[in-house]
Amino acid sequence: MDKEDHKNFRKWFKPSWSYVTGAVLLSILQVITLIVTQEPLGITSAFSYWAMRLQGFLGFATPAQLAVVSQLIAGRETLWFEENLVTLRNLGIVLGALLSALLASQFRLKKIKSWQQALMALLGGLLMGYGSSIASGCNIGAFFSGIGSMSLSGWVFGLFLFIGAFIGGKLLIRFLL
Amino acid sequence: MKLSNQKKDDFAKQFSVGLVLFVMLLMVAIFLFQYTPMTAFFWLSGLGFGYILQRSRFCFVAALRDPALTGSTAVTRGVLVALGLTTIGFTAVKYFYHLTSQTIPGQSYIASIGMNTVVGGIIFGIGMVIAGGCASGMLMRIGEGFEMHLITLVGFFLGTMLGNNHLAWWNNHLIWSKEGVFLPDLFGWVGALVIQLLVIGLLYGLAVKWEAKQEL
Repeated sequence: MDKEDHKNFRKWFKPSWSYVTGAVLLSILQVITLIVTQEPLGITSAFSYWAMRLQGFLGFATPAQLAVVSQLIAGRETLWFEENLVTLRNLGIVLGALLSALLASQFRLKKIKSWQQALMALLGGLLMGYGSSIASGCNIGAFFSGIGSMSLSGWVFGLFLFIGAFIGGKLLIRFLL
Repeated sequence: MKLSNQKKDDFAKQFSVGLVLFVMLLMVAIFLFQYTPMTAFFWLSGLGFGYILQRSRFCFVAALRDPALTGSTAVTRGVLVALGLTTIGFTAVKYFYHLTSQTIPGQSYIASIGMNTVVGGIIFGIGMVIAGGCASGMLMRIGEGFEMHLITLVGFFLGTMLGNNHLAWWNNHLIWSKEGVFLPDLFGWVGALVIQLLVIGLLYGLAVKWEAKQEL
């Protein structure tokens, strides 16, 4: 490959795709995932799983939680990545995004600017973690996959997500900008 | 001039690192495939998911936040297209399993509806806006190099732990439908599909009008 070819080859990875292209590809990924794994895409079940494992390890899990964990890992010679396959997929999301960013030369190490920003990040994470664990999912599992599965819960969750995002936007304007 | 050369160097360097990473990720996929094909599928589908999210700048937070915050509905319309297409695809798969009298896949995603859905939705909505990313967006941005979202991940994990311990309470209080509602059970397969696609279409129309109104 000479230098000019190399440049053209790189250009192929540079432009962003349209939102509609993203929507079509994500839908194809959803359908393939449903057929192969018998479940739609979801993310947060992995966090739930490791939270229960950690609690069990620290010795303050309820018997019901321990039962769920032991059922999940029973009778298998498990490697860490096989215990919870959603964790493996989540790791894939991080590395797939890293790959995409590198090929498009968009990777930038963005440092934390202030303690306020760090606090916001932590608080936002806490709220999302609590919300997703009681509503059985996040924007992907409860909203995208829920509505895609024609579950009424997906629509209800979506409506209140929208209201929550509205409140969050107001808070952001009031305290940050 | 010097800066622009540096920039060019950076582009070339990142691309080369990307190619090396690509080969490494494929090698992991081959290893996993030999272990079990299913682990390789989860790995590759995750990589694909992250790649699509980053390259198309697809963001569920922006889709739900921007109509009210900036008046833009471009991402919102993208999400609505995804919802419509996924509905069609999922329903085709589910209907096939139904016709052939097999267990319909993915029915565990028909979640219960109650105060847990309402409160969970609102606080998740607030959280994702102040953190600047939801679960998928957070993972994607960690890959893009945002240190901030590593903190969000820690918060997410701790919040999940707390929520897990309150789950029994939420599941026993103010639940309106414990089994959840699968729309085809209410309206029939065709009826549910038509109604849902009409609602998505209506929201799409609203999104177009809303954005046009902002520009006036």
